[in-house]
Amino acid sequence: MSSGLVTSWRFINVIFLFGMWFYQDTLEGSFLFIVLLALLASLRFRFQMPPWTIFIDIALCLVFTPFWSGAVYGFILPIFESVKTRKWVLFVFCLFFYLVLTNHSPLGYWLVFQAAFIGFLVTEWEKQRGVYTAEADRERHARYDLEQIRNELLEANKKTAHLAELSERNRIARALHDHLGHDLTGAKLAMDALQHLDGSEAEEMLNQVKKRIERSTLMLRDTVHDMTPVMRTGADRLTEIIEEFNHIHVEMKQAGDMNSIPVQYWSILEPCLKEALTNTVRHSDATNIIVQLDATEALVRLSIMDNGNRTNKVNEGSGLRHLKLRARSVGGSLSMSYQTGFLIVCVLPLTKGKEAEQ
Amino acid sequence: MTVYTFALKRSFRDKTNLLFLMFFPIAAIFLPSQAYWPSMPLGYQYFGVLILFVAIRLTGLLLEDRQKGVVKRVAAAPISHFRYLLENLLAFATIMLGQCVVVIVGGVLYGQELYQPFLLFILYLAFSVTAIALALAWNSFYRSRESSFLIFMSVIILISLLGGLLVPYEMLPEWIQKLSVVLPTYWLYKGIEWIVHGGDAIDFIFINSVLCVYSLLLLIVGSIRRIG
Repeated sequence: MSSGLVTSWRFINVIFLFGMWFYQDTLEGSFLFIVLLALLASLRFRFQMPPWTIFIDIALCLVFTPFWSGAVYGFILPIFESVKTRKWVLFVFCLFFYLVLTNHSPLGYWLVFQAAFIGFLVTEWEKQRGVYTAEADRERHARYDLEQIRNELLEANKKTAHLAELSERNRIARALHDHLGHDLTGAKLAMDALQHLDGSEAEEMLNQVKKRIERSTLMLRDTVHDMTPVMRTGADRLTEIIEEFNHIHVEMKQAGDMNSIPVQYWSILEPCLKEALTNTVRHSDATNIIVQLDATEALVRLSIMDNGNRTNKVNEGSGLRHLKLRARSVGGSLSMSYQTGFLIVCVLPLTKGKEAEQ
Repeated sequence: MTVYTFALKRSFRDKTNLLFLMFFPIAAIFLPSQAYWPSMPLGYQYFGVLILFVAIRLTGLLLEDRQKGVVKRVAAAPISHFRYLLENLLAFATIMLGQCVVVIVGGVLYGQELYQPFLLFILYLAFSVTAIALALAWNSFYRSRESSFLIFMSVIILISLLGGLLVPYEMLPEWIQKLSVVLPTYWLYKGIEWIVHGGDAIDFIFINSVLCVYSLLLLIVGSIRRIG
């Protein structure tokens, strides 16, 4: 805005000079002076001119003043430029010539005052704007950094879930191999030996086999007990959330193979359901909610729809925005609709998840 | 100099342009002299108006480039905007130079009273450059070639009238006479008057320098890069 103001100020002053030239009965030669000043103004409008070019203005004024007394008012242009570029020596230099040559006319004082004032103001504005722009840039940068860190965290979360699954698989394999496998193999060998033995030796061997199998059974029970999680996971967890939710009647429908859904997806689907239920309680007058979870070969789709009548469209809160981001981080999407009740649909791809596991 | 050559070629490709560039200048040579006004043969008085028409026709090509998105493609090509503009303007100036040569040489050969043909040639050349710059600056305010051209046509008539090319300058009211100093056409009129009546050499230099400063001013304003 300030550059537009500066340009118009310059050209208004050139036009003012022309007006003065028009009314005073002067020679045509001094018209060149006005055109040259206009040329300098247009150069400053198009290009960033170095401060020494102010000397050209001063020289023009000094050359033309003897021919046309009005040319002294041309000094307001270099005065403006010198204040604008904060070249105080030049400013004093111009002011001296100007005051000496104008013979202290009130118009002269007014002109020089407004030139200096606007020049000063414009630079201050530009300085302020520079400060604000720098601050805005810094903030934008910080926001981008934050977003990147958040994405990295989500990615790390996904990887951790995958690693946890792998290490758990390893632990089970080791437990089966070390204890159960060992005892069962021992028992099998003992059974083979039993065929060739009889009498007390056979009985002893049989007791040994029995003991081994008993121990194996115990071990198997322990291992399985260790493996079974205390908390419910997967689709069961969603059902549990719905059972615990007593405010509005919720209907849950499931279709497809729930075991095909990767573990880390539940950490998206679960908060999604929670957020949707909370939103409905907080913002809607719904009486019924339908939750539908479908797992096909290619994708998982969770849709939560209420029958509420929401007239005012609520802005997307940070919860939903965060969920959207998480869905996007695994290549899925989360969308909302307000047309018939409130509908949230979360779609997550399955193929990509499988690829990531491999 | 690819752009330069291409600008020359496309200037002559258009049929209407051909009329402006070839037929009118040659026709101007044969217009008769008048008894009282103007002092120059009629064709030479009106040649300034023709120069303005030619300038807007030629620089319209740049506007057409902008309209068709050529400027966008040029922006992506390994050629600077400055170079693109410079070569185009150079091509236009070359065409105008050719026209001025044809008109002056033709006039001398045909036997028109041109007073000082070489100085007249210099004046026409200076005015041609100013006219190109003026048309360029004018075009920079428009999006379509047609509207720019149509409005500029009336502007040409107006500034030629006020500048003293179409009617005797002395007939105009005094304040308009003084105001018309801002028009480049006025300086062409002054130049023609100087050539007819003679005077200080410094005056003729002054007239040409005003035209040159005008060209620079209008070039600076008109060379603003508008891609969209």
